[in-house]
Amino acid sequence: MADRLRPVRRGIYLYFRLLGQQMKSILAYQADFVVLLFSAVVVQLAGFLFIWTIFQRIPSINGWTFWQVVTMYALIFITEGVGSLFFEGTWMLGWLVWSGQFDQMLVRPVSPIIQVIAYRVGFNGLGNIVTGFTLIGLGIANSSVQWSAGRVLMLVVLVASAATIRVALNLGTAASGFWIRNPWSMVPMFVHQLGELAKYPITIYSLGVQALIVVAIPFAFVSFFPTAFIFGLDAWSLPALLTPFVAVYCLFVAVSIFRRGMRNYESSGH
Amino acid sequence: MRGVTKYVSFSKASLQIMLVYKSSLAVNMIGTVFYVIAMFYLWQTIFVNQPGAMGGFTWPEMKGYILVSFLLNSVMTWYDEWTMGRDIREGLVAVDLARPIDFQAKRFADAIGPIPIELFSALVVAAVVAVAFGGVALPADGTHAILFILSAVLATITKFGLVYCVSMVAFWTTGMTGISVARMAIQNIFSGALIPLVFFPGWLRSIAAVLPFQGLVSTPALTYLGKMDWPTTVLMLTVQAAWAAGLILLGRLAWRGASRAVTINGG
Repeated sequence: MADRLRPVRRGIYLYFRLLGQQMKSILAYQADFVVLLFSAVVVQLAGFLFIWTIFQRIPSINGWTFWQVVTMYALIFITEGVGSLFFEGTWMLGWLVWSGQFDQMLVRPVSPIIQVIAYRVGFNGLGNIVTGFTLIGLGIANSSVQWSAGRVLMLVVLVASAATIRVALNLGTAASGFWIRNPWSMVPMFVHQLGELAKYPITIYSLGVQALIVVAIPFAFVSFFPTAFIFGLDAWSLPALLTPFVAVYCLFVAVSIFRRGMRNYESSGH
Repeated sequence: MRGVTKYVSFSKASLQIMLVYKSSLAVNMIGTVFYVIAMFYLWQTIFVNQPGAMGGFTWPEMKGYILVSFLLNSVMTWYDEWTMGRDIREGLVAVDLARPIDFQAKRFADAIGPIPIELFSALVVAAVVAVAFGGVALPADGTHAILFILSAVLATITKFGLVYCVSMVAFWTTGMTGISVARMAIQNIFSGALIPLVFFPGWLRSIAAVLPFQGLVSTPALTYLGKMDWPTTVLMLTVQAAWAAGLILLGRLAWRGASRAVTINGG
């Protein structure tokens, strides 16, 4: 058993070593670091102010209260933050393939996926994560839900699953770079921006849009369903239990696409 | 006349550079399209449930406001703090300093070059969205339409002046991406791009009133819809023009101060 886990432990260790090197290179410029953190916080405050202004006029959006919508926002920001802080390298995949830099990763005895995700660090993610958790905390403090150990555990599972879904979506779509020979493929950005739709209750959308963000690109499991569970909204809580499975499924698909793409890789200059 | 010709060629060059990076333009566009779609559904829901909560806007007017805001924000996306930051950091400004041209005018020429393409793509997207959501309010009347175009031009100049001033920060930090993102977030709130300023509570509205941002979206969009009476329209357009001129002037002063202090890589 211990033997079989060794490659996993080694992978995780190397991932943090690689990421650590990137962090050092960014922390060398302290002013830039502060500016990045600050910018992420300002963006979130702008979003918060927008929702707050709307709720000054209306009590709810299709039955969803101010703090529930804030929690949805916060989940989008936290998961985005996790993506930036720990997996920013996926955005570079198209460029790595296009320029042939991906060669380097194939000759090293470390999983190429680990090398790709640790290729960059986005410190703005830290600002997103901290503000996001603050907003969720405020949301929970303003709800009437009774908390038990099981519920807290489920909250942790849901947030982790939500983050996994977004990272998987990024990785899977970034792998399009193996086929689309363009340093900045539009596919990942396109899917990433769909997150805009997940900031509001899905009940406001038409059936087609709902199908898109529940089934095709499961953004609803990042924000909508987890929020329903956190606030104990019975009508939508049950699908929330599917979130971990959706996360595993997305990760499986993303890694499969990545592996397929890697077989398709033929370096530059051909 | 020859003086203008050389700046026109900068604009053309800038347009050509942008055409090489078509996918970047598409990415910029995609970034806002989903946002616009979300806004349409959100306001539609609010309108259906609580028509009284629309701050005096009818649903077609609100749709018009969102799309005009989208169009204005789609212009001059190519020009941001990052480019200027890079030029200062890598010493490329030295080339411009050595040329017999006005630095700010050259940057302005660079910034407006890609506008035809940006505007065209944004208009296509706006038309599709407008049709999908059952039409939008047209300009209140001919006079308002003309004043809107004037106001939109002033908005573009204001945006240039603003970005140019903020770019001067590049003399002190290399983190221009963060600066750009923060500027856009503040701009989105106080320009009325996220939500018409009348929705704000009094204290927030008074902050917006003394900042230059309202000239970027609020003033042109309200002029388009004819939501302000004549004295207010004239006042707001004057304020907008004053900010446009003021920011250009401030940018010139800041550049004069900063360029004296500049040390290019390698002494």
